[in-house]
Amino acid sequence: MGARPPTLREKRRYMLVSVEPFGTIIDRKDLYYAVCDATTSLWGDMTAAVIMPAVIASEGQYVIIRCRRGTERELSIALSTITCCRDNPIALRIVAASGTIDTLREKIKRLQNPDTEPASQHEFMVGEKLFQILYCYGQKVDVIEKGFKNTNRLFLTKEDLEEL
Amino acid sequence: MKITDACVYPYPCGDSSVRRMALEARSLGFDRLVAAGISSGGHYGIEISNGVLIRDITMKDLITRVRQERNSNAVVSVQAGDNGFNRSVTGVKGVHILRGIQSADKTAFDHVTAKMAADNRVAVDIDLSPLISGRGVLRQRAIHRYRDILLLERRFEFPITLSSHARSILEMRAVREISGLCSLLDMDAPDVEKAFTGIDTVTTSPNPAVKVI
Repeated sequence: MGARPPTLREKRRYMLVSVEPFGTIIDRKDLYYAVCDATTSLWGDMTAAVIMPAVIASEGQYVIIRCRRGTERELSIALSTITCCRDNPIALRIVAASGTIDTLREKIKRLQNPDTEPASQHEFMVGEKLFQILYCYGQKVDVIEKGFKNTNRLFLTKEDLEEL
Repeated sequence: MKITDACVYPYPCGDSSVRRMALEARSLGFDRLVAAGISSGGHYGIEISNGVLIRDITMKDLITRVRQERNSNAVVSVQAGDNGFNRSVTGVKGVHILRGIQSADKTAFDHVTAKMAADNRVAVDIDLSPLISGRGVLRQRAIHRYRDILLLERRFEFPITLSSHARSILEMRAVREISGLCSLLDMDAPDVEKAFTGIDTVTTSPNPAVKVI
């Protein structure tokens, strides 16, 4: 079956979403399941079928999610109920919505954070546990507990580090 | 009027420092946070109010505790209990917020308590965490209870506050996202705006009916 002419195709909208915490490796399939689960859980199968969410692309910490035009509100509410993706705690922050993917790709280029400092080997104590810096970007510093398993991640700022 | 998240739990209760939460709150569109167990102040242009949460306590101890906090400028919240307890709490001077109404008994908040809350300017908190992270029956029950409370709110006009109960920056939500979640409870934009500034209503002293000169 050939592609339909543009006038007969259903209209779509694309949402640019930022995935937190910084440095999360996004598997599009896992994120798709998380989005579908959240949409179905909140709105039910009928509305989820109308929304028709899909993860189109991911670039760095940004993801483009597609929905049917007119269902942006429902999708954005459903996205705010996503708390984890395959047992990894995440948060999706909606950045923009557009009718074309190209516009969002251009926005991603403008938004990409170039001043991210890599992880350092510097270690410090928080409470009684040993932590090391995972990411440092702007004022934000993400630190992770040293160890092999059950390592907690803390979200701090540079001022917090100076006080430690 | 400041847009306020009425309850967050920074480190050590959660995994994010209060400064990081303030930084995140600024990017999410908030003006103020009520942070449990953190002294009042400000970071990155966000006002931080000290939040005191009182729970699992007898009425006598509650009154003593509230009296201790009276001069501390803290936002005092009490975990809801049964109907009798909630009625008593709304009558205690110095209590600002009644929390956890979604997990209390079905009859815990009735029209009498609602009237008392309105008269004594005690806010009822809408905890958004069951809507965000809850699934199935838990979320359905919370939506049902909140709709019921909002029905009483429209009738008696007691203050409402909105809180994310975030223990991490990942659990915080933007003002627009919270407005979207509140639309599930049949709250329109002015209702949400009023709820965001509900803390101002309960913490500022009311204009006296008679002014003594």
